[in-house]
Amino acid sequence: MRELDPLLHSQLRLAVMSILMNVEEADFVFLKEKTEATAGNLSVQLDKLSSAGYISVEKGFSGKKTRTVCRVTGRGRKAFEEYVESLKEYLNL
Amino acid sequence: MEDRKLTEKESLEVITSMIARTKAKYLGSGNILLMWGYLIAITSILVWALLAATHHNAWNWLWFAIPAVGVPATIVMSRKEQQVNGVTTSFDKITSRMWTIFGVSEIVLTFVCLAFAFLGGVNCWAAMLVYSLILAPGTEIAQGLIFKENSLVGGGAAGLIVGIITICCVVGGIPLAANWYMPLFILAWVCMMIIPGHIINSKSKKR
Repeated sequence: MRELDPLLHSQLRLAVMSILMNVEEADFVFLKEKTEATAGNLSVQLDKLSSAGYISVEKGFSGKKTRTVCRVTGRGRKAFEEYVESLKEYLNL
Repeated sequence: MEDRKLTEKESLEVITSMIARTKAKYLGSGNILLMWGYLIAITSILVWALLAATHHNAWNWLWFAIPAVGVPATIVMSRKEQQVNGVTTSFDKITSRMWTIFGVSEIVLTFVCLAFAFLGGVNCWAAMLVYSLILAPGTEIAQGLIFKENSLVGGGAAGLIVGIITICCVVGGIPLAANWYMPLFILAWVCMMIIPGHIINSKSKKR
């Protein structure tokens, strides 16, 4: 049986990846609202996903406010698909 | 939501719950539709009135105000809208590309008509009107079906009817008299852009 990717096998990181797999891009505010996470925690988990190359994070400005936009990368997409396949094996689906 | 390890069953629940939360299609506001609708309607009324008053064909150059104002305004407004929504879905990308194809083909057609007029002395500007009233309603109906927005489907259908009548006139050799055609053309854009734009804005405010 394949091992579940430890980077994705965490509630918040998996939630973020699930959202990003479903859209083209989402900003920090949208992710925070959908995951109901705290800003600090979300920021830390985004950094971890970004460091692993699973997502790309683009920081820009919207007027005077900063705006962080996240997108899933090809590597992240592949990792997520493999994670779901492993999950199916564990759950005998 | 926290950063904690999950059981396999919980993982599946997180995935399905997040997919459900992002399933909604974000049509956004109707401001871009309104901008195009009013821009085309006002320009058409202005050109029609000036042509009727002066009988000077040079006023037709005013039609170029539509892309000159509309294209940059759309770029700025869509960026702003994207920031407000906080998310871009594949549906947004598809509809954006459909409208880009429409816009680019209109620009190409303009140059072809200019070439026909200046190089061959042929007036084929009616093709411009017909084309815009076939492809724009088609694109709008497709967008309405994607986002399940009936005002776009209805408005597009109204525009398409005008387009079909116009194409029959052109093919049948019936001259397009400005006095009946221009009000119909303006009405088509009101149905296609202004009415759906206000309906979408009203729905957006309620959300």
